[in-house]
Amino acid sequence: MGKDAAPLLSGTLDLLILKTLSAGAFHGYGIAQHIKRLSNEALTIEEGSLYPALQRMMVKGWIVSESKKSPTGRDARYYRLTAAGRKQLGQEEADFKRSIAATVRVLKGSNA
Amino acid sequence: MTLREIILRLRAWVRRDQLSRALDAELESHVDALARDLAHTGMSPADARTAARRQLGNTTVIRESSRDAWGFPRLENVLQDIRYGVRGLLHAPGFTITVILTLGLGIGANAAMFAVIDRLMFRPFPHMREPGSVHRVYVQTTVNGRRNVYATIPYARYLDLIAQAQSFSQHATVSEWRLGVGVGEHARIQKVAGVSASFFGFFNVRGVQGRLFTDVEDQRPMGSLVAVLTHEFWQTVLGSRPVLGEPLRVGKFDYTIIGILPPGFVGTVQGRPPHIFIPITTVPANLNPWQRDIYASQYSWDWMEIIVRRKDGVSVAAANTELTQAYIRSRNSQRVSNPRVLPDSLAHPRAIVAPLRNGAGPAPGPESRVLKWVSGVAGIVLLIACANVANIMLTRVLRRRREIAVRLALGVSRSRLLGQFVIEAMLLALVGVVVGLAFAQWGGSAIRALLLPEGSTLNLGTDWRTIGVAGVCAIVAALLSTIGPAVLAARSELTPSLKSGVREGSHRRSTLQTALLVTQGALSVALLVGAGLFVRSLGRVRDIPLGFDVSRVVDVYPDFRDANLETGVEDAAIRQLLAAAQSIPGTAGAARANSALFRSSTARLRIAGIDSVEQLGRFNFQVVSPEYFDVVQTRILRGRGFSSIDAPHAPRVAIVSQAMAQALWPGREPLGQCMEVTWEAAANVPYVPCTTVVGVAEDAAYQALTDEQRFVYYLNLEQMPGGWARQILVRLNGEPTATEIERVQRALQRVMPGDGLVILRKLQDVIDDQSRSWRLGTTLFVAFGGLALVVAAVGLYGVIGYTIAQRMHELGMRIALGARSSHILRLVLGQGVWFAAAGAAFGLAIAFFGARFIEPLLYKQSARDPLVYFGVAGTMILVGLVASAAPALRAIRADPNRALRSE
Repeated sequence: MGKDAAPLLSGTLDLLILKTLSAGAFHGYGIAQHIKRLSNEALTIEEGSLYPALQRMMVKGWIVSESKKSPTGRDARYYRLTAAGRKQLGQEEADFKRSIAATVRVLKGSNA
Repeated sequence: MTLREIILRLRAWVRRDQLSRALDAELESHVDALARDLAHTGMSPADARTAARRQLGNTTVIRESSRDAWGFPRLENVLQDIRYGVRGLLHAPGFTITVILTLGLGIGANAAMFAVIDRLMFRPFPHMREPGSVHRVYVQTTVNGRRNVYATIPYARYLDLIAQAQSFSQHATVSEWRLGVGVGEHARIQKVAGVSASFFGFFNVRGVQGRLFTDVEDQRPMGSLVAVLTHEFWQTVLGSRPVLGEPLRVGKFDYTIIGILPPGFVGTVQGRPPHIFIPITTVPANLNPWQRDIYASQYSWDWMEIIVRRKDGVSVAAANTELTQAYIRSRNSQRVSNPRVLPDSLAHPRAIVAPLRNGAGPAPGPESRVLKWVSGVAGIVLLIACANVANIMLTRVLRRRREIAVRLALGVSRSRLLGQFVIEAMLLALVGVVVGLAFAQWGGSAIRALLLPEGSTLNLGTDWRTIGVAGVCAIVAALLSTIGPAVLAARSELTPSLKSGVREGSHRRSTLQTALLVTQGALSVALLVGAGLFVRSLGRVRDIPLGFDVSRVVDVYPDFRDANLETGVEDAAIRQLLAAAQSIPGTAGAARANSALFRSSTARLRIAGIDSVEQLGRFNFQVVSPEYFDVVQTRILRGRGFSSIDAPHAPRVAIVSQAMAQALWPGREPLGQCMEVTWEAAANVPYVPCTTVVGVAEDAAYQALTDEQRFVYYLNLEQMPGGWARQILVRLNGEPTATEIERVQRALQRVMPGDGLVILRKLQDVIDDQSRSWRLGTTLFVAFGGLALVVAAVGLYGVIGYTIAQRMHELGMRIALGARSSHILRLVLGQGVWFAAAGAAFGLAIAFFGARFIEPLLYKQSARDPLVYFGVAGTMILVGLVASAAPALRAIRADPNRALRSE
């Protein structure tokens, strides 16, 4: 956890998980690692909160899970995106970008 | 929530144990992996593991929030609250039973009243198409401010009203009669409806066997002799055999059966539905052969009603305007033949369309007025029940204050707490509905007998309208009575409740509770005053001297059912019938009379020295055989009754009532006076010369039961032309039970010629009909008033009992300090009496101002009868004493030792 680690913007956990899974199947620990790595350790997530989010996304039908052997040889649960999940990702990504762009515009305006 | 999510959640819920284990394993391996990675950075394995756990977070929270996805958490909360509520209610059976019974009584009273009112006033007739636009037509005149409204009109009037009407898309005529149906020993009196062919067009009649009759078969003056039967009649009387095309004797004619209606068809009739529908144009000839060719042009016979369907877009007001104009034109053409029709300026004629149900129409009869009042009373009973339940709930909340405070302190949200109260209320409401409907059904047999016409059914188990109303009543009542206490509970301050023990000021009554108690008492007292007034009024009705005693008399009406019987032959047959009636063993005599009770006739009278007898009032006459006065036990006060010396050609004689004698010959000797009588309305028919008064009879009620004027005179049948006094009155030795009546019926039926039938009726029924509205009001007011009193007493008992329980410590102290039992007793009883007296004071005030509205429903009874008011107030205070007696006895047994030791 670096010094300049920032807390997650609220509501973006689902988006980050979906985005991660769009690159392939991951287990829970893998998802956490992936997010940390890609954000250069700038984003910290409370790792435990991953799991309720995953359960919620499963009953929404965005992701599915399957048991597989991990590279270390242990049984692990791997999560994978469904077609519905992919659609959801596209929508959330677009929403997020629009929202960020707008926020940034406002911030710029107030600085000027 | 999409359907897919529901399915996935359901699947997750089914597999929730498995999912939970998988999650645990996953969390464990997450910690393992994290610890391994941290160990690579140089931490000791134990530290790494601790750090990994910290980084993962609180696993209990993780598990709990994961579980939210497996199933339906909100629903599960509700279910949990329901379980909790059921458990709580079962743990306090006394409370639960009291609340359910109280609610049940209130709901039951309202469900029963609704069921009855719905059947009498609102429910659409089965199979009717778009019932909202269908009306019954009434004509109305207002003479000297007195409004007369009636639906029964002459056929000629129907033709006048409807001939040019533009407002209606459909119109039909209906006329109901009780006629002999069938021949031989199967012949019975049945309800028969004469209807126009257009009548069936008002209904969606599908599934008719055979066919219905058409306009071609319903032609004036005389339609075809065809009949359509109800499914029920076909099943029960004809045994479901194929009958189409067979003849069926109805009244005087043989009809051909052409159709059978679908099950449930009753036409537009409430009460016992007719079994047979015949073309209305065959009815006049069937009843009176001489009417056959004149009924469509004469205005003298009111015998049928009109139903209409308004065209789309025609308002009720527009239809009324059009009908009224037609009615005025109709009266003008009537005036041509009968100059006595009042001018419009005096009669203010109107014709209107009104609801099809008579009870909701402009001439609903006194029963409907009483019913409206009684349903208001039922509403008040429910209010009292609500107040009572609210009070019990309040007591419970006060008793559970500590528990509630503890739960709030442990973090139960106030909204969840409120939710639990609402759920508890709903549970109570649900059981209350069931209990209420059971009460209503149980009381239903009594209600049906009292209120609904003979033959109606009242099965509340399948009556969804009533169940719906009961449900709404229950929910409203439950919410009304729990919201206050629930809010109080949720608002309760934590610290004092947690700290306070038995001792601290908790016996202070809440003002809300006092208000509820006094309200209950006041409403019950007001209802009891109403009940008392009705009881007194009914007593006065019962005390009306009738001038006869017919409690053991049956009225026999012979229906000869032969179209061509001559008057002489018929007279001989009635003579034979009288002889047969007089020889039936177990009877105390029989006589012939012209008209049954309350259906008397008038004739025109001329008395020497009086300008216009009519101006003095209405003089009814009876044509009777000499035995009449013995059979109905009317005393002859002066002179003599009729006897064998009054032979057909002997001087004509009459007997007059005392009131009539005083009115016509005030201060003079009535015996020997001469009356001139004529029965024709027309002015040029000569009077029968001198009928001499030979006796004065006691006054008797021949008009309405409560009519003050009792002018009646009796003429001797022997001296009258044929055709008079067609009824036979038979006096039985014992009570007129069903078997006794059946015995008389069989004995008389044997001597009837041909297919003739005798129709029997207890005369007491006729009298009871007259006092029905008062009996109705009395029974229902007393029942509901009593119910209200019981509920109020239970409430008072509960609250005083609770306060005493809370004050046991204080009372113990008082006893320890030397208070005597009599003081304690007076203290507690005084409390009960105080509540009762406050309730009585308010209740009497309500009654005092409200009573004048029910005065019109009473008979010669002031609505401010002090006897009733004092009686009710006394009763209420007595109830207060009784309700506080048990708590008072408990109070004097308060243990001073315990009080001192706990100090």
